[in-house]
Amino acid sequence: MSEEKLATTATRLGLSLDVWAVITSFLLAILVRTGVLKHVPW
Amino acid sequence: MATSVALPSQEAQNPFANVVRFIPGVLLLAAIGFAGKLMEQSINGYAKAHHLVIPNIEYVLWAIAIGLLVANTLTIPKVFLPGIATYEFWLKAGIVLLGARFVVGDVLKLGGISIGLVILEISGSLILMTLLGRLFKLRPKLTSLLAVGSAVCGVSAIIAAKGAIDADDEDSSFAIAAILALGAIALVTFPLIGHALHLSDNAYGLWSGLAVDNTAEAIAAGALFSDAAGKVAVLAKTTRNATIGFVVLGYAIYWASRGQAEKVKNKGAFLWNKFPKFVLGFLVISLLVSVHVFNKEQVGALANLSRWAFLLTFAGVGLRTNFREMSKQGLRPFIVGALGEVLIAGLTLGLVVGANAIWKL
Repeated sequence: MSEEKLATTATRLGLSLDVWAVITSFLLAILVRTGVLKHVPW
Repeated sequence: MATSVALPSQEAQNPFANVVRFIPGVLLLAAIGFAGKLMEQSINGYAKAHHLVIPNIEYVLWAIAIGLLVANTLTIPKVFLPGIATYEFWLKAGIVLLGARFVVGDVLKLGGISIGLVILEISGSLILMTLLGRLFKLRPKLTSLLAVGSAVCGVSAIIAAKGAIDADDEDSSFAIAAILALGAIALVTFPLIGHALHLSDNAYGLWSGLAVDNTAEAIAAGALFSDAAGKVAVLAKTTRNATIGFVVLGYAIYWASRGQAEKVKNKGAFLWNKFPKFVLGFLVISLLVSVHVFNKEQVGALANLSRWAFLLTFAGVGLRTNFREMSKQGLRPFIVGALGEVLIAGLTLGLVVGANAIWKL
């Protein structure tokens, strides 16, 4: 599956791949800020 | 005789079916990325226990190498392919979260220098690739795609330009294969050159962000040099990505004026449509960190989430680099791309060395 098809799938879900990535990142940032995600090991 | 009726597919009706089919490939990315991380830790642990002095090979290289080995020696079952393609999603999420490691002051300082260098890099790359394409008698639209891909941001720019200039599938496949093959070569050569020239983390990061075309490879090439260089590579590459709409719009207008592409009706909407939104996400996170919305531990957690996202990205870079497939695309576009890339690498290295002398990067 090419990047082009992935982008098409993302768009089919209502938003572009970029926007999905931003939304996911912001949700993770909210989880970290509210203390739901306290420690992320590396 | 069976009639062919265009029915909406089950996937189109049920978005969750789309999400579920990504799972096997994402798990494969995670397994390969994690194996790379374990390799780095195991080798370092062994060297420490046995008092050996060996160079630290970062997880980035292991993840890419394992991915390359799998992609080029085994046939990856189709069930994994949708999930492997999500490396692009993880790349963008990783960039947004990496905003936590930049305060706005850093973004303005390095970003300001990057903007100046990006403008010079894009102009030089477009001119060089166009001249080389004409010299080697490549098809004009293939030349345009190679020029956009090498000037801005690799595969994404080629995909964006393909639709805008009405290019053939064959031309875009040629251009994508050339850009990806050259990106794979850059992963090996750039860190070696950077170390040989004793470049600082900032100077090297800026160079890889300016010269390596595809975003994933540019960031990987930066991270292979050092963590700090990887960070700067993201900033330089993101600045370059932000220009995608302008460059593609320029080509769309050019080809439309020749009657070989559709006219752009609303230029503002076109620019917004092509603008990479993750750049805005990166800036928002950076701004929030700068005004202390997050405490120190939370900033560390966001930075680690970014590292995990990049881990999946680097595994994906290895897995989607299939040399057998690339070799099928023919030599001429690759030679044009390679010649252009060597010249662009030299040009950008000169720009970075010059900027380093002036601003002490």
